Amino acid sequence: MTVDIDKTAGPEDVPPAGPEAIKAIPVRHYGRYVSAVIAIAIFVSIIYAFAQGKINWGAVPDYFFDDRIIKGVGQTMLLTVLSMVIGIAGGILLAVMRLSRNPVTSSIAWFYIWFFRGTPVLVQLVVWFNLGLVFEYINLGPIYKDYWSSFMTPLLTALLGLGLNEAAYMAEICRAGLLSVDEGQTEASHALGMSHGKTLRRIVIPQAMRVIVPPTGNEVINMLKTTSLVSVVQFAELFRYAQDIGQSSGAPVEMYFLAAAWYLVLTSVLSVGQYYIERYYARGSSRSLPATPLQKIKANMLSLASWRR
Amino acid sequence: MSTSMVKAEGVHKSFGPVEVLKGIDLEVKPGEVFCLIGPSGSGKSTFLRCINHLEKVNAGRLYVDGHLVGYRQKGDKLYELKDSEVARKRRDIGMVFQRFNLFPHMTALENIMEAPVQVKGVSRAQARERAAQLMERVGLADKAGSYPSQLSGGQQQRVAIARALAMDPKLMLFDEPTSALDPELVGDVLDVMRDLAESGMTMIVVTHEMGFAREVGDSLVFMDEGVVVESGHPRDVLTNPQHERTQSFLSKVL
Repeated sequence: MTVDIDKTAGPEDVPPAGPEAIKAIPVRHYGRYVSAVIAIAIFVSIIYAFAQGKINWGAVPDYFFDDRIIKGVGQTMLLTVLSMVIGIAGGILLAVMRLSRNPVTSSIAWFYIWFFRGTPVLVQLVVWFNLGLVFEYINLGPIYKDYWSSFMTPLLTALLGLGLNEAAYMAEICRAGLLSVDEGQTEASHALGMSHGKTLRRIVIPQAMRVIVPPTGNEVINMLKTTSLVSVVQFAELFRYAQDIGQSSGAPVEMYFLAAAWYLVLTSVLSVGQYYIERYYARGSSRSLPATPLQKIKANMLSLASWRR
Repeated sequence: MSTSMVKAEGVHKSFGPVEVLKGIDLEVKPGEVFCLIGPSGSGKSTFLRCINHLEKVNAGRLYVDGHLVGYRQKGDKLYELKDSEVARKRRDIGMVFQRFNLFPHMTALENIMEAPVQVKGVSRAQARERAAQLMERVGLADKAGSYPSQLSGGQQQRVAIARALAMDPKLMLFDEPTSALDPELVGDVLDVMRDLAESGMTMIVVTHEMGFAREVGDSLVFMDEGVVVESGHPRDVLTNPQHERTQSFLSKVL
Protein backbone atom coordinates (compact mmCIF):
# COMPACT_ATOMS: atom_id res chain seq x y z
CA MET A 1 0.00 0.00 0.00
CA THR A 2 1.31 3.40 -0.88
CA VAL A 3 0.45 6.68 0.70
CA ASP A 4 0.81 9.99 -1.06
CA ILE A 5 2.40 12.49 1.21
CA ASP A 6 2.07 16.17 0.51
CA LYS A 7 5.56 17.52 0.08
CA THR A 8 4.82 20.72 1.93
CA ALA A 9 3.80 18.71 4.98
CA GLY A 10 7.27 17.32 5.50
CA PRO A 11 9.86 19.02 7.69
CA GLU A 12 11.97 21.67 6.00
CA ASP A 13 15.33 19.99 6.49
CA VAL A 14 14.64 16.78 4.54
CA PRO A 15 16.62 16.26 1.34
CA PRO A 16 15.05 17.85 -1.75
CA ALA A 17 13.95 14.45 -3.06
CA GLY A 18 11.30 14.39 -0.32
CA PRO A 19 10.56 11.65 2.18
CA GLU A 20 10.52 8.06 0.96
CA ALA A 21 7.05 6.65 0.27
CA ILE A 22 5.86 4.41 3.12
CA LYS A 23 5.70 0.71 2.29
CA ALA A 24 4.12 -0.84 5.36
CA ILE A 25 2.60 -4.30 5.77
CA PRO A 26 -1.16 -3.77 6.15
CA VAL A 27 -3.07 -5.08 9.17
CA ARG A 28 -4.29 -8.63 8.54
CA HIS A 29 -7.99 -9.15 9.19
CA TYR A 30 -8.16 -12.89 9.90
CA GLY A 31 -11.71 -12.54 11.23
CA ARG A 32 -12.86 -11.73 7.71
CA TYR A 33 -11.60 -15.03 6.29
CA VAL A 34 -13.27 -16.97 9.10
CA SER A 35 -16.60 -15.17 8.79
CA ALA A 36 -16.57 -15.54 4.99
CA VAL A 37 -16.09 -19.30 5.32
CA ILE A 38 -18.94 -19.56 7.86
CA ALA A 39 -21.27 -17.46 5.70
CA ILE A 40 -20.53 -19.54 2.60
CA ALA A 41 -21.11 -22.76 4.54
CA ILE A 42 -24.51 -21.58 5.77
CA PHE A 43 -25.47 -20.39 2.30
CA VAL A 44 -24.49 -23.70 0.69
CA SER A 45 -26.44 -25.70 3.27
CA ILE A 46 -29.57 -23.61 2.65
CA ILE A 47 -29.27 -24.16 -1.10
CA TYR A 48 -28.73 -27.87 -0.50
CA ALA A 49 -31.84 -28.06 1.67
CA PHE A 50 -33.95 -26.44 -1.04
CA ALA A 51 -32.46 -28.64 -3.74
CA GLN A 52 -33.35 -31.74 -1.67
CA GLY A 53 -36.93 -30.57 -1.12
CA LYS A 54 -39.92 -31.95 -2.99
CA ILE A 55 -39.84 -29.16 -5.51
CA ASN A 56 -39.69 -29.76 -9.22
CA TRP A 57 -37.05 -27.15 -10.05
CA GLY A 58 -37.16 -28.05 -13.70
CA ALA A 59 -40.55 -26.33 -13.97
CA VAL A 60 -39.09 -22.92 -13.21
CA PRO A 61 -36.87 -22.56 -16.30
CA ASP A 62 -39.58 -24.28 -18.39
CA TYR A 63 -42.02 -21.49 -17.69
CA PHE A 64 -39.59 -18.63 -17.05
CA PHE A 65 -40.13 -17.11 -20.51
CA ASP A 66 -43.65 -18.42 -20.97
CA ASP A 67 -45.79 -15.97 -22.98
CA ARG A 68 -48.19 -15.47 -20.07
CA ILE A 69 -45.34 -14.79 -17.65
CA ILE A 70 -43.77 -12.27 -20.04
CA LYS A 71 -47.16 -10.60 -20.44
CA GLY A 72 -47.54 -10.54 -16.69
CA VAL A 73 -44.11 -8.94 -16.29
CA GLY A 74 -45.17 -6.31 -18.81
CA GLN A 75 -48.43 -5.61 -16.97
CA THR A 76 -46.62 -5.42 -13.62
CA MET A 77 -44.15 -2.91 -15.00
CA LEU A 78 -46.88 -0.88 -16.68
CA LEU A 79 -48.88 -0.74 -13.48
CA THR A 80 -45.79 0.16 -11.45
CA VAL A 81 -44.80 2.98 -13.77
CA LEU A 82 -48.30 4.46 -14.16
CA SER A 83 -49.10 4.21 -10.43
CA MET A 84 -45.82 5.89 -9.57
CA VAL A 85 -46.45 8.67 -12.09
CA ILE A 86 -49.80 9.34 -10.40
CA GLY A 87 -48.15 8.98 -7.00
CA ILE A 88 -45.25 11.36 -7.70
CA ALA A 89 -47.36 14.02 -9.45
CA GLY A 90 -49.97 13.82 -6.71
CA GLY A 91 -47.29 13.76 -4.04
CA ILE A 92 -45.60 16.94 -5.26
CA LEU A 93 -48.97 18.67 -5.55
CA LEU A 94 -50.00 17.58 -2.07
CA ALA A 95 -46.64 18.57 -0.56
CA VAL A 96 -46.86 22.05 -2.08
CA MET A 97 -50.47 22.34 -0.89
CA ARG A 98 -49.50 21.17 2.58
CA LEU A 99 -46.73 23.78 2.82
CA SER A 100 -48.91 26.52 1.35
CA ARG A 101 -49.82 29.55 3.42
CA ASN A 102 -53.40 29.11 2.26
CA PRO A 103 -55.19 27.33 5.15
CA VAL A 104 -57.79 25.79 2.81
CA THR A 105 -55.31 23.99 0.57
CA SER A 106 -53.09 22.88 3.43
CA SER A 107 -56.10 21.44 5.30
CA ILE A 108 -57.27 19.56 2.20
CA ALA A 109 -53.79 18.08 1.76
CA TRP A 110 -53.64 17.15 5.43
CA PHE A 111 -57.00 15.41 5.23
CA TYR A 112 -56.06 13.53 2.05
CA ILE A 113 -52.84 12.25 3.58
CA TRP A 114 -54.60 11.35 6.81
CA PHE A 115 -57.20 9.29 4.95
CA PHE A 116 -55.10 7.52 2.33
CA ARG A 117 -52.19 6.77 4.63
CA GLY A 118 -54.48 5.63 7.38
CA THR A 119 -56.22 2.80 5.52
CA PRO A 120 -54.63 -0.37 4.07
CA VAL A 121 -54.06 -0.30 0.33
CA LEU A 122 -55.75 -3.67 -0.05
CA VAL A 123 -58.89 -2.24 1.53
CA GLN A 124 -58.70 0.82 -0.72
CA LEU A 125 -58.44 -1.39 -3.79
CA VAL A 126 -61.52 -3.37 -2.80
CA VAL A 127 -63.43 -0.17 -2.07
CA TRP A 128 -62.59 1.25 -5.50
CA PHE A 129 -63.67 -2.03 -7.01
CA ASN A 130 -67.05 -1.91 -5.29
CA LEU A 131 -67.74 1.78 -5.72
CA GLY A 132 -70.38 0.82 -8.29
CA LEU A 133 -72.68 0.23 -5.33
CA VAL A 134 -72.51 3.95 -4.54
CA PHE A 135 -72.37 5.40 -8.03
CA GLU A 136 -74.47 3.59 -10.58
CA TYR A 137 -73.49 5.84 -13.45
CA ILE A 138 -70.61 8.09 -14.18
CA ASN A 139 -72.04 11.26 -15.67
CA LEU A 140 -69.82 14.12 -16.77
CA GLY A 141 -72.66 15.97 -18.41
CA PRO A 142 -72.39 16.08 -22.20
CA ILE A 143 -68.81 14.79 -22.27
CA TYR A 144 -69.11 11.26 -20.95
CA LYS A 145 -71.79 9.02 -19.52
CA ASP A 146 -71.58 5.33 -18.79
CA TYR A 147 -72.28 2.65 -16.24
CA TRP A 148 -69.78 2.81 -13.42
CA SER A 149 -68.96 -0.85 -13.83
CA SER A 150 -67.96 -0.48 -17.46
CA PHE A 151 -66.08 2.75 -16.78
CA MET A 152 -64.07 1.26 -13.94
CA THR A 153 -61.92 -1.26 -15.78
CA PRO A 154 -59.61 -3.44 -13.68
CA LEU A 155 -56.66 -1.35 -14.88
CA LEU A 156 -58.27 1.93 -13.84
CA THR A 157 -59.31 0.47 -10.49
CA ALA A 158 -55.80 -0.80 -9.86
CA LEU A 159 -54.25 2.51 -10.94
CA LEU A 160 -56.51 4.62 -8.74
CA GLY A 161 -56.13 2.30 -5.79
CA LEU A 162 -52.35 2.15 -5.97
CA GLY A 163 -51.67 5.65 -7.33
CA LEU A 164 -53.83 7.65 -4.94
CA ASN A 165 -52.52 5.69 -1.98
CA GLU A 166 -48.97 6.25 -3.17
CA ALA A 167 -49.57 10.00 -3.52
CA ALA A 168 -50.15 10.22 0.23
CA TYR A 169 -46.76 8.63 0.94
CA MET A 170 -44.99 10.60 -1.77
CA ALA A 171 -46.46 13.80 -0.34
CA GLU A 172 -44.57 13.31 2.89
CA ILE A 173 -41.36 12.43 1.04
CA CYS A 174 -41.67 15.51 -1.16
CA ARG A 175 -42.48 17.69 1.82
CA ALA A 176 -39.31 16.53 3.55
CA GLY A 177 -37.41 17.31 0.35
CA LEU A 178 -38.87 20.80 -0.01
CA LEU A 179 -38.15 21.58 3.64
CA SER A 180 -34.55 20.41 3.26
CA VAL A 181 -33.73 23.26 0.87
CA ASP A 182 -32.12 26.20 2.63
CA GLU A 183 -34.45 29.16 3.12
CA GLY A 184 -31.72 31.42 1.74
CA GLN A 185 -32.36 29.87 -1.67
CA THR A 186 -35.97 31.01 -1.67
CA GLU A 187 -34.95 34.45 -0.43
CA ALA A 188 -32.29 34.84 -3.10
CA SER A 189 -34.76 33.80 -5.76
CA HIS A 190 -37.45 36.17 -4.47
CA ALA A 191 -34.92 38.99 -4.21
CA LEU A 192 -34.21 38.51 -7.93
CA GLY A 193 -37.89 39.08 -8.63
CA MET A 194 -38.84 35.46 -9.28
CA SER A 195 -42.40 34.46 -8.46
CA HIS A 196 -43.38 31.75 -5.97
CA GLY A 197 -44.09 29.29 -8.77
CA LYS A 198 -40.83 29.92 -10.63
CA THR A 199 -38.87 29.76 -7.37
CA LEU A 200 -40.43 26.40 -6.64
CA ARG A 201 -39.91 24.98 -10.14
CA ARG A 202 -36.49 26.37 -10.96
CA ILE A 203 -34.76 26.63 -7.58
CA VAL A 204 -36.39 24.60 -4.81
CA ILE A 205 -37.61 21.40 -6.49
CA PRO A 206 -34.34 20.64 -8.35
CA GLN A 207 -32.50 20.85 -5.02
CA ALA A 208 -35.18 18.94 -3.16
CA MET A 209 -34.78 16.08 -5.64
CA ARG A 210 -31.55 15.00 -3.97
CA VAL A 211 -33.51 14.27 -0.82
CA ILE A 212 -36.59 12.99 -2.65
CA VAL A 213 -34.99 10.47 -5.03
CA PRO A 214 -33.58 7.85 -2.60
CA PRO A 215 -36.83 7.25 -0.67
CA THR A 216 -38.74 7.43 -3.96
CA GLY A 217 -36.60 4.59 -5.29
CA ASN A 218 -37.69 2.68 -2.23
CA GLU A 219 -41.30 3.51 -3.04
CA VAL A 220 -40.94 2.31 -6.65
CA ILE A 221 -39.58 -1.01 -5.49
CA ASN A 222 -42.34 -1.26 -2.90
CA MET A 223 -44.90 -0.42 -5.58
CA LEU A 224 -43.55 -3.12 -7.86
CA LYS A 225 -44.19 -5.67 -5.13
CA THR A 226 -47.52 -4.16 -4.05
CA THR A 227 -48.88 -4.62 -7.57
CA SER A 228 -49.17 -8.31 -6.68
CA LEU A 229 -52.24 -7.31 -4.62
CA VAL A 230 -54.30 -6.13 -7.56
CA SER A 231 -55.52 -9.59 -8.46
CA VAL A 232 -58.33 -8.80 -5.99
CA VAL A 233 -59.68 -6.27 -8.51
CA GLN A 234 -59.38 -8.79 -11.35
CA PHE A 235 -56.30 -7.22 -12.88
CA ALA A 236 -53.90 -9.84 -14.20
CA GLU A 237 -50.19 -9.25 -13.68
CA LEU A 238 -47.09 -11.34 -12.99
CA PHE A 239 -48.22 -12.91 -9.71
CA ARG A 240 -51.70 -13.68 -11.01
CA TYR A 241 -50.38 -15.33 -14.19
CA ALA A 242 -47.85 -17.33 -12.18
CA GLN A 243 -50.67 -18.54 -9.93
CA ASP A 244 -52.81 -19.45 -12.94
CA ILE A 245 -50.01 -21.43 -14.56
CA GLY A 246 -49.29 -23.09 -11.24
CA GLN A 247 -52.85 -24.31 -10.94
CA SER A 248 -53.12 -25.58 -14.50
CA SER A 249 -49.68 -27.16 -14.71
CA GLY A 250 -49.71 -28.81 -11.32
CA ALA A 251 -46.62 -26.97 -10.09
CA PRO A 252 -48.06 -24.17 -7.91
CA VAL A 253 -45.15 -23.72 -5.51
CA GLU A 254 -42.63 -23.77 -8.33
CA MET A 255 -44.46 -20.88 -9.96
CA TYR A 256 -44.19 -18.83 -6.73
CA PHE A 257 -40.44 -19.28 -6.91
CA LEU A 258 -40.56 -18.23 -10.53
CA ALA A 259 -42.50 -15.08 -9.63
CA ALA A 260 -40.06 -14.31 -6.82
CA ALA A 261 -37.14 -14.62 -9.25
CA TRP A 262 -38.81 -12.24 -11.69
CA TYR A 263 -39.54 -9.69 -8.95
CA LEU A 264 -35.88 -9.87 -7.94
CA VAL A 265 -34.76 -9.29 -11.51
CA LEU A 266 -37.05 -6.27 -11.84
CA THR A 267 -36.08 -4.68 -8.53
CA SER A 268 -32.40 -5.14 -9.40
CA VAL A 269 -32.88 -3.29 -12.67
CA LEU A 270 -34.75 -0.51 -10.85
CA SER A 271 -31.95 -0.16 -8.28
CA VAL A 272 -29.45 0.48 -11.04
CA GLY A 273 -31.74 3.07 -12.59
CA GLN A 274 -32.13 4.79 -9.22
CA TYR A 275 -28.37 5.03 -8.89
CA TYR A 276 -28.04 6.96 -12.12
CA ILE A 277 -30.91 9.32 -11.27
CA GLU A 278 -29.25 10.10 -7.93
CA ARG A 279 -26.01 10.74 -9.71
CA TYR A 280 -27.75 13.21 -12.02
CA TYR A 281 -29.24 15.24 -9.17
CA ALA A 282 -25.95 15.22 -7.27
CA ARG A 283 -24.40 17.60 -9.80
CA GLY A 284 -23.15 20.75 -8.17
CA SER A 285 -23.57 19.36 -4.67
CA SER A 286 -20.22 17.65 -4.49
CA ARG A 287 -16.97 18.49 -6.17
CA SER A 288 -16.82 15.33 -8.24
CA LEU A 289 -19.66 13.03 -9.24
CA PRO A 290 -19.79 9.64 -7.52
CA ALA A 291 -18.47 6.70 -9.51
CA THR A 292 -20.76 4.70 -11.79
CA PRO A 293 -21.38 1.06 -10.76
CA LEU A 294 -18.89 -0.14 -13.37
CA GLN A 295 -16.20 2.14 -12.02
CA LYS A 296 -17.09 0.99 -8.52
CA ILE A 297 -16.88 -2.69 -9.39
CA LYS A 298 -13.50 -2.06 -10.95
CA ALA A 299 -12.28 -0.24 -7.84
CA ASN A 300 -13.66 -2.97 -5.57
CA MET A 301 -11.93 -5.69 -7.57
CA LEU A 302 -8.66 -3.83 -7.26
CA SER A 303 -9.05 -3.35 -3.53
CA LEU A 304 -10.12 -6.96 -3.05
CA ALA A 305 -7.05 -8.08 -4.95
CA SER A 306 -4.75 -6.19 -2.62
CA TRP A 307 -6.87 -6.55 0.56
CA ARG A 308 -6.38 -2.86 0.99
CA ARG A 309 -8.94 -2.20 3.69
CA MET B 1 -39.55 62.40 -2.84
CA SER B 2 -38.11 61.94 -6.30
CA THR B 3 -34.77 63.07 -4.96
CA SER B 4 -34.37 60.05 -2.71
CA MET B 5 -33.82 56.43 -3.67
CA VAL B 6 -34.87 55.10 -0.27
CA LYS B 7 -36.77 57.02 2.35
CA ALA B 8 -37.74 55.59 5.73
CA GLU B 9 -40.19 57.35 8.03
CA GLY B 10 -40.60 55.90 11.49
CA VAL B 11 -40.12 52.29 10.36
CA HIS B 12 -41.04 49.73 13.02
CA LYS B 13 -40.61 45.99 12.82
CA SER B 14 -41.37 43.34 15.43
CA PHE B 15 -40.85 39.60 15.45
CA GLY B 16 -43.56 38.49 17.84
CA PRO B 17 -43.01 40.36 21.09
CA VAL B 18 -39.48 41.43 20.14
CA GLU B 19 -39.29 44.89 18.63
CA VAL B 20 -36.31 44.90 16.30
CA LEU B 21 -36.77 48.28 14.62
CA LYS B 22 -38.08 51.07 16.81
CA GLY B 23 -38.67 53.90 14.40
CA ILE B 24 -36.03 54.31 11.72
CA ASP B 25 -35.86 57.58 9.79
CA LEU B 26 -33.31 57.90 7.04
CA GLU B 27 -32.86 58.87 3.44
CA VAL B 28 -30.62 57.44 0.73
CA LYS B 29 -29.99 59.60 -2.33
CA PRO B 30 -29.48 58.22 -5.84
CA GLY B 31 -25.87 57.31 -6.54
CA GLU B 32 -25.02 57.27 -2.89
CA VAL B 33 -23.06 54.57 -1.05
CA PHE B 34 -24.88 54.31 2.23
CA CYS B 35 -23.26 52.28 5.00
CA LEU B 36 -25.09 50.78 7.96
CA ILE B 37 -22.98 49.75 10.93
CA GLY B 38 -23.76 48.61 14.43
CA PRO B 39 -23.51 45.67 16.81
CA SER B 40 -25.20 42.39 15.87
CA GLY B 41 -28.86 42.38 16.76
CA SER B 42 -29.13 46.11 16.20
CA GLY B 43 -31.59 45.62 13.33
CA LYS B 44 -29.37 46.61 10.38
CA SER B 45 -30.02 43.44 8.40
CA THR B 46 -33.71 43.50 9.23
CA PHE B 47 -33.98 47.04 7.95
CA LEU B 48 -32.19 46.04 4.76
CA ARG B 49 -34.59 43.13 4.27
CA CYS B 50 -37.55 45.47 4.74
CA ILE B 51 -36.38 47.52 1.75
CA ASN B 52 -37.11 44.70 -0.71
CA HIS B 53 -40.02 43.44 1.36
CA LEU B 54 -38.42 40.18 2.48
CA GLU B 55 -39.72 41.39 5.84
CA LYS B 56 -42.97 43.26 6.35
CA VAL B 57 -42.85 46.62 8.08
CA ASN B 58 -45.27 46.86 11.05
CA ALA B 59 -45.52 50.64 11.26
CA GLY B 60 -44.15 53.69 9.52
CA ARG B 61 -43.56 54.22 5.83
CA LEU B 62 -40.77 52.97 3.62
CA TYR B 63 -40.39 54.31 0.08
CA VAL B 64 -38.13 53.05 -2.69
CA ASP B 65 -37.77 55.36 -5.66
CA GLY B 66 -40.85 57.26 -4.53
CA HIS B 67 -43.04 54.15 -4.24
CA LEU B 68 -44.33 52.72 -0.99
CA VAL B 69 -42.79 49.28 -0.30
CA GLY B 70 -45.27 46.41 -0.15
CA TYR B 71 -48.45 48.50 -0.15
CA ARG B 72 -50.53 50.78 -2.31
CA GLN B 73 -52.01 53.88 -0.73
CA LYS B 74 -55.44 55.09 -1.81
CA GLY B 75 -56.68 58.01 0.21
CA ASP B 76 -55.76 57.09 3.74
CA LYS B 77 -56.19 53.34 3.21
CA LEU B 78 -53.34 50.92 2.58
CA TYR B 79 -53.79 47.93 0.30
CA GLU B 80 -51.35 45.04 0.47
CA LEU B 81 -49.65 44.36 -2.86
CA LYS B 82 -50.11 41.00 -4.53
CA ASP B 83 -47.13 38.64 -4.62
CA SER B 84 -46.68 39.29 -8.33
CA GLU B 85 -46.56 43.05 -7.78
CA VAL B 86 -44.00 42.67 -4.99
CA ALA B 87 -41.93 40.44 -7.29
CA ARG B 88 -42.04 43.08 -10.03
CA LYS B 89 -40.67 45.73 -7.67
CA ARG B 90 -37.91 43.45 -6.49
CA ARG B 91 -36.52 43.25 -10.03
CA ASP B 92 -35.08 46.74 -9.59
CA ILE B 93 -33.42 45.97 -6.27
CA GLY B 94 -30.40 43.71 -6.23
CA MET B 95 -29.48 41.93 -3.03
CA VAL B 96 -26.26 40.28 -1.93
CA PHE B 97 -26.40 37.99 1.07
CA GLN B 98 -23.93 37.19 3.80
CA ARG B 99 -24.04 33.52 2.90
CA PHE B 100 -24.01 34.11 -0.90
CA ASN B 101 -27.09 31.93 -1.52
CA LEU B 102 -25.96 30.96 -5.00
CA PHE B 103 -28.08 28.23 -6.59
CA PRO B 104 -25.88 25.15 -6.06
CA HIS B 105 -27.40 23.10 -8.88
CA MET B 106 -26.42 25.65 -11.54
CA THR B 107 -23.04 26.75 -12.84
CA ALA B 108 -21.84 30.27 -12.12
CA LEU B 109 -22.96 31.40 -15.56
CA GLU B 110 -26.38 29.76 -15.19
CA ASN B 111 -26.81 31.46 -11.81
CA ILE B 112 -26.36 34.83 -13.47
CA MET B 113 -28.57 33.97 -16.46
CA GLU B 114 -31.44 32.58 -14.40
CA ALA B 115 -33.32 35.73 -13.42
CA PRO B 116 -32.99 37.63 -16.71
CA VAL B 117 -34.27 34.59 -18.61
CA GLN B 118 -37.00 33.58 -16.18
CA VAL B 119 -38.17 36.98 -15.00
CA LYS B 120 -37.45 39.39 -17.84
CA GLY B 121 -37.82 36.92 -20.68
CA VAL B 122 -34.41 37.73 -22.15
CA SER B 123 -33.29 35.15 -24.73
CA ARG B 124 -30.81 32.57 -23.48
CA ALA B 125 -28.16 33.64 -25.98
CA GLN B 126 -28.43 37.27 -24.95
CA ALA B 127 -28.43 36.38 -21.25
CA ARG B 128 -25.39 34.18 -21.73
CA GLU B 129 -23.49 36.99 -23.42
CA ARG B 130 -24.40 39.45 -20.67
CA ALA B 131 -23.53 36.93 -17.97
CA ALA B 132 -20.11 36.39 -19.52
CA GLN B 133 -19.52 40.16 -19.49
CA LEU B 134 -20.52 40.33 -15.84
CA MET B 135 -18.26 37.42 -14.95
CA GLU B 136 -15.44 39.33 -16.53
CA ARG B 137 -16.38 42.48 -14.65
CA VAL B 138 -16.09 40.66 -11.31
CA GLY B 139 -12.82 39.09 -12.45
CA LEU B 140 -14.01 35.51 -12.88
CA ALA B 141 -14.14 35.12 -16.66
CA ASP B 142 -12.53 31.66 -16.42
CA LYS B 143 -14.98 30.30 -13.84
CA ALA B 144 -18.16 30.43 -15.94
CA GLY B 145 -18.64 26.67 -15.99
CA SER B 146 -17.86 26.05 -12.33
CA TYR B 147 -20.49 25.07 -9.82
CA PRO B 148 -20.65 27.14 -6.61
CA SER B 149 -19.21 24.25 -4.59
CA GLN B 150 -16.09 24.46 -6.74
CA LEU B 151 -15.54 28.15 -5.97
CA SER B 152 -14.01 29.83 -2.94
CA GLY B 153 -16.20 32.01 -0.74
CA GLY B 154 -14.85 35.19 -2.27
CA GLN B 155 -15.47 33.91 -5.78
CA GLN B 156 -18.99 32.83 -4.84
CA GLN B 157 -19.76 36.25 -3.45
CA ARG B 158 -18.51 37.94 -6.61
CA VAL B 159 -20.74 35.64 -8.69
CA ALA B 160 -23.60 36.62 -6.37
CA ILE B 161 -22.91 40.29 -7.06
CA ALA B 162 -22.84 39.59 -10.81
CA ARG B 163 -26.13 37.70 -10.46
CA ALA B 164 -27.77 40.70 -8.83
CA LEU B 165 -26.31 43.09 -11.43
CA ALA B 166 -27.70 40.99 -14.28
CA MET B 167 -31.16 42.39 -13.50
CA ASP B 168 -29.86 45.97 -14.01
CA PRO B 169 -31.01 47.12 -10.59
CA LYS B 170 -31.39 50.76 -9.57
CA LEU B 171 -30.39 49.91 -6.04
CA MET B 172 -28.08 47.28 -4.55
CA LEU B 173 -28.44 45.97 -1.02
CA PHE B 174 -25.44 44.30 0.60
CA ASP B 175 -26.10 42.30 3.76
CA GLU B 176 -22.69 41.85 5.41
CA PRO B 177 -21.20 40.67 2.12
CA THR B 178 -17.76 39.91 3.54
CA SER B 179 -18.63 38.55 6.98
CA ALA B 180 -18.58 34.90 5.93
CA LEU B 181 -15.27 35.17 4.08
CA ASP B 182 -11.74 34.23 5.01
CA PRO B 183 -9.81 37.46 5.66
CA GLU B 184 -7.59 37.13 2.59
CA LEU B 185 -10.66 36.87 0.32
CA VAL B 186 -12.39 40.01 1.60
CA GLY B 187 -10.28 42.33 -0.55
CA ASP B 188 -11.45 40.89 -3.89
CA VAL B 189 -15.10 41.36 -2.98
CA LEU B 190 -14.54 44.89 -1.69
CA ASP B 191 -12.70 45.74 -4.92
CA VAL B 192 -15.75 44.71 -6.94
CA MET B 193 -17.99 46.78 -4.68
CA ARG B 194 -15.68 49.78 -4.92
CA ASP B 195 -15.74 49.48 -8.68
CA LEU B 196 -19.53 49.32 -8.57
CA ALA B 197 -19.70 52.43 -6.38
CA GLU B 198 -17.52 54.33 -8.83
CA SER B 199 -19.88 53.42 -11.65
CA GLY B 200 -22.57 55.40 -9.81
CA MET B 201 -24.70 52.57 -8.38
CA THR B 202 -26.84 53.40 -5.37
CA MET B 203 -25.72 50.99 -2.66
CA ILE B 204 -26.84 50.29 0.88
CA VAL B 205 -24.18 48.29 2.64
CA VAL B 206 -24.49 46.62 6.02
CA THR B 207 -20.89 46.02 6.94
CA HIS B 208 -18.24 45.59 9.57
CA GLU B 209 -15.55 46.79 7.14
CA MET B 210 -14.87 50.23 8.58
CA GLY B 211 -12.07 50.80 6.07
CA PHE B 212 -14.47 50.31 3.18
CA ALA B 213 -17.08 52.55 4.81
CA ARG B 214 -14.55 55.32 5.30
CA GLU B 215 -13.07 55.18 1.80
CA VAL B 216 -16.12 54.42 -0.34
CA GLY B 217 -19.11 55.48 1.75
CA ASP B 218 -20.95 58.75 1.21
CA SER B 219 -23.14 58.43 4.29
CA LEU B 220 -22.96 56.29 7.35
CA VAL B 221 -25.51 55.38 9.98
CA PHE B 222 -24.74 53.77 13.31
CA MET B 223 -27.64 51.68 14.57
CA ASP B 224 -28.09 50.14 18.00
CA GLU B 225 -31.09 48.37 19.53
CA GLY B 226 -33.38 49.23 16.65
CA VAL B 227 -32.75 52.96 16.46
CA VAL B 228 -30.44 55.21 14.49
CA VAL B 229 -27.97 56.49 17.07
CA GLU B 230 -25.76 58.62 14.88
CA SER B 231 -25.44 59.47 11.21
CA GLY B 232 -23.31 61.61 8.98
CA HIS B 233 -20.36 61.40 6.64
CA PRO B 234 -18.37 58.23 7.35
CA ARG B 235 -15.15 60.11 8.02
CA ASP B 236 -16.83 62.29 10.63
CA VAL B 237 -18.71 59.52 12.39
CA LEU B 238 -15.82 57.06 12.38
CA THR B 239 -13.10 59.45 13.47
CA ASN B 240 -15.09 61.75 15.68
CA PRO B 241 -18.14 59.94 17.04
CA GLN B 242 -20.40 62.17 19.11
CA HIS B 243 -22.50 59.62 20.88
CA GLU B 244 -21.24 57.47 23.72
CA ARG B 245 -22.63 54.22 22.25
CA THR B 246 -20.96 54.92 18.92
CA GLN B 247 -17.69 55.59 20.70
CA SER B 248 -17.79 52.35 22.66
CA PHE B 249 -18.74 50.32 19.56
CA LEU B 250 -16.01 51.84 17.43
CA SER B 251 -13.41 51.38 20.13
CA LYS B 252 -14.14 47.67 20.00
CA VAL B 253 -14.07 47.18 16.24
CA LEU B 254 -11.43 49.62 15.02
